Amino acid sequence: MKTLLLVGLNHRTAPVDVRERLNIADAKLGETTNALRALDGVDGAAVLSTCNRVEAIVSTRDEDVIETVVEWLASNASTHRGELEKHLYILRHGDVVKHLFRVASGLDSMIVGEPQIGGQVKKAFLTAYELGTLDAILMQVYEQTQRVSKRVRTDTGIGEHAVSVPYAAVELAKKIFGRLRGLQVLLLGAGDMGELTAEHLHEQDVKQVFVANRSFERATELAQRFDGAAVQFDRIDEQLANCDIVIASTAAPHYLVDTHHVERALDTRKRRHLFLIDLAVPRNINPAVARIDGAYLYNIDDLQQVADANQGLRQQKAREAEQIVVREVEEFGKRLVAQDAVPTILELQQRLESIRAAELEKCLRKLGPMTPEQREAVEQFSTQMVNKILHYPILQLKEATDEPQERESLRRTIRKIFGLR
Amino acid sequence: MSFAPTDTLYVALACYALGTLAALLSLFVPAKRLQDAGLVLMIAGFAAHTVWIGVICTRTGHPPITNLPEAAAFMAWVVFAVELALWIRYRVYAASFFVYPLVLLLLTISAVVGEQFATLNPQLRSNVFTAHLLLTTVGVAGLMIGVAFGLLAFIQDRALKEKRRGRMWDWIPSLNVCKTVSHRALAIGFSIYTIGLLAGILWSYRTTAGLMDLRVKQIGAVVAWVLFGVLLQRYIAGAYRSGKTVLLSAGAFVAVVVAILGIAR
Repeated sequence: MKTLLLVGLNHRTAPVDVRERLNIADAKLGETTNALRALDGVDGAAVLSTCNRVEAIVSTRDEDVIETVVEWLASNASTHRGELEKHLYILRHGDVVKHLFRVASGLDSMIVGEPQIGGQVKKAFLTAYELGTLDAILMQVYEQTQRVSKRVRTDTGIGEHAVSVPYAAVELAKKIFGRLRGLQVLLLGAGDMGELTAEHLHEQDVKQVFVANRSFERATELAQRFDGAAVQFDRIDEQLANCDIVIASTAAPHYLVDTHHVERALDTRKRRHLFLIDLAVPRNINPAVARIDGAYLYNIDDLQQVADANQGLRQQKAREAEQIVVREVEEFGKRLVAQDAVPTILELQQRLESIRAAELEKCLRKLGPMTPEQREAVEQFSTQMVNKILHYPILQLKEATDEPQERESLRRTIRKIFGLR
Repeated sequence: MSFAPTDTLYVALACYALGTLAALLSLFVPAKRLQDAGLVLMIAGFAAHTVWIGVICTRTGHPPITNLPEAAAFMAWVVFAVELALWIRYRVYAASFFVYPLVLLLLTISAVVGEQFATLNPQLRSNVFTAHLLLTTVGVAGLMIGVAFGLLAFIQDRALKEKRRGRMWDWIPSLNVCKTVSHRALAIGFSIYTIGLLAGILWSYRTTAGLMDLRVKQIGAVVAWVLFGVLLQRYIAGAYRSGKTVLLSAGAFVAVVVAILGIAR
């Protein structure tokens, strides 16, 4: 009878120098999955490898295969087994299912709720599926993992709130403009944070990113990265009216954008909103701009507060998500146990049915001629008796613990009692 | 136990009441499931409501807009239909905090005030009169939606300016969506309402040889028209952010309610 095992390490159990040794490049994922499946005693296999975790997931009839998998991981990392073992976690049965549900939902990630991990889990299992290394039980686990991950994200909205300053800026831009497609962005300066924010906005399909910098060469270089255009630094004022989002992150010790600039820009824009993000210290945008109707000004502290508040919100949602995962694991475990018990239950029913039919035949012969009603009553009596006898053994098999060894022990006992082979 | 056609009204009311309760609860328990449950209940109520509107038309043989219960029921139906269309287009949950109670209020008025299947005075059987009622009802529904989205734009603007999220932050769509929907709903609603009022004046002139009687509903309707006109002008000028605009919206809303209640007289 098959059981699930997972051997792996992640950002909490292993430092980056250990993780990077085990990390599997995308191009080698298929080859590694095949190698895991080829190990003695492994019936089904999948490998999950991200920058924060590497996990070997297997189904097997023999739990001793753990040793082989650990050896295999150590040889992949070109390290001693003892050295690697310090960082490994080994999960069995229901814990594997729970772990996968949590991982795919982003609950085990460094940034709780991050959405990329869902896609990475999917990729690991799809690769295994295409290679034919997934057996029935792993296939079921994969399908359920996808469902649970989707449910957690939909029901709790765990990944909806940005937890970094650049993403918080994007989230606020969406709260103001809705879709960002077709908007124009002006990036002032070439600070790291500003560049990153512009990059996130660029990913949202904004129409164009204009870059203004004291060094026009640097502005041109940055603009090329965003398929945008460089603007002369002394022409910022004119450009303000054309842009919907302004990101300031220069090292200038004074305000580059003042109230009269924004007033003028809003008049030209016919009061269409203007979102100003001031990431510079000292600030590049006069704080009085925030009082102008139609202008929304956020500085680095404001955005950090948004990110911090979102972090708290994610923790709260993570608690709701954990409850969903616990319920799903319980239900999935019950389903697996019930499925696992089906062959024994069928055998048990067939065995008792054959006894019933044989004994009924003998009894009817002894009783002699009977009316159809009498014959039906005797048959009904024997069927009901067999059903009553079977009731509790079947119930026990269906509701057995999800611990495979205990389940196997119960099954053996029942088989022995009823004389099944 | 038999199911009378009028029971659909009470089924609609019960569903709307539960849907409104679920939506309002989601202000305190921010669960999307609660909002979704509210929406499902409201849609169930809307289905029963649609049957009820059909029952009125079949029983009376005229459009359901000739007296207070009919007009209130029809207006509630149009308001929810528009809200549903907007939900499908923009997935706006926050409007439910205003629109659901409004729909419930209108249908409650319809259920408790006056005769539900009143026969129509033969004098009122006129295309101009029907057009007047239909257009003013649809116009007012549009204006109500415009006011609701205007309030959402106001709340969203305040939240963004003050950098403080309220309970509705997650439910309110982007400022642009709120502004666009409120502008459009007010502009379209105001145009339809104006044509409806003109049709009413024409009908009044034809039947009584005067432009209009000055009774509660007429005064309420004209005051509402003036206030909505000013409101629309303020929205076009971008003044939806001011507290005065909110007061003006409240005034216009009250004037409309007065005009609706005046239909009974």
